[in-house]
Amino acid sequence: MVRLSDLHPVESDHLRKRAEMMPAIGPGKWVTPPALDQATVAIVSTAGIHRRMDPPFTVGSLDYRIVPGDVNFSDLVVSHISANFDRSAFGQDPNIAFPIERLREMAFTGEIGDVARWHYSFMGAMPDPSRFEETGEEIGRLMAKDGVDVALLVPV
Amino acid sequence: MSEAVVPPRALWVPFPLGRPLGAINDPEFQKDVLRTAFGLLDTAVEPTIEDYQIEAPDKGLSDNWVCPLNLGPESSGSLADRLLSEVGRLRPWAMETRRERGRTLFGVSGAREDQVDQLAQTLAAIAETGEVTCEPANEEIDWAFDMPLLLRHIADDLRTYYHEAIAAQPGTSPPDHDALNRWIFGETILGETLVLVADGLTRASDSPIAPLVRGLLIPEGHYRGGSAFPETASFPTS
Repeated sequence: MVRLSDLHPVESDHLRKRAEMMPAIGPGKWVTPPALDQATVAIVSTAGIHRRMDPPFTVGSLDYRIVPGDVNFSDLVVSHISANFDRSAFGQDPNIAFPIERLREMAFTGEIGDVARWHYSFMGAMPDPSRFEETGEEIGRLMAKDGVDVALLVPV
Repeated sequence: MSEAVVPPRALWVPFPLGRPLGAINDPEFQKDVLRTAFGLLDTAVEPTIEDYQIEAPDKGLSDNWVCPLNLGPESSGSLADRLLSEVGRLRPWAMETRRERGRTLFGVSGAREDQVDQLAQTLAAIAETGEVTCEPANEEIDWAFDMPLLLRHIADDLRTYYHEAIAAQPGTSPPDHDALNRWIFGETILGETLVLVADGLTRASDSPIAPLVRGLLIPEGHYRGGSAFPETASFPTS
């Protein structure tokens, strides 16, 4: 996401170095889900989104917050630590990073089978994504119990 | 980064950070991005990164944005007085956005929606004293973070308040991240205050996390003409 050439040179250089230093961790097991119009979809966000009642994320958070599929946007806030992404966009339209209303519409018209009961939020900006392995496997088990077929990962 | 992580199916999008679906309040554009990503479920047979080919329709609209309010500069009075004056001038617009949206992102620091003045006074006091490690002396706010990380979230709550104030003003669309930062750090007392707080973090040699918090406080390119991020920063995990 985002062209490095569109960023401030310092941020661009920082992200380029991050990418070069990032340890390779994939690929995972290849899974073919059912047809999209039969599939249940869950969002996994790394925008540091959570309900106002939840504890905020902090520097280096490896845990996650659950977001119910019927969440009202007025309940959501953002505690991601980075100052370098546009959270004013989320303020104007939360679907820009957490497109739950779009999924509801696509479920209503039959484009997707269903919207999951639960969705998941992490804080991104983690130099080594392998640190998320334990919690990643945990939410994988939770999504399996929720009948999720497709995880829509939305980095910010 | 996707090449290192190797997700099974990835759609690269040419949109600014914070806007992965591309266009605000444009359900059809957002669904086109989703449909293209979901299309990989039918076409990919091995880990695949595909490029989304369409630019966001609002790309470049904020390039020439200027704030219609004349907020300053005010040269008289203390920093706290000047910041409170600025916050007060923005208040009707911020309240209008909250009324229109029925929501706000303000409050992650622990402050309630009606405590923006206290938040501004707290930040100004920290900027003036350079005291960036002791918890602010305000018994009415239940701070959600320890110092100095709290500074980053006080700043963000105030930035949110400014963003929400600007969003209600007349015009075709509110400014984007870059335009907002040019305004805050080029024209407002809040920007002046944040730079002074960052200076305090620079001097806080007894706090190992202070340089990192400085980088999290001010967007790239807005700290005295350059980066607020330290040359090397380690991320603690929890």
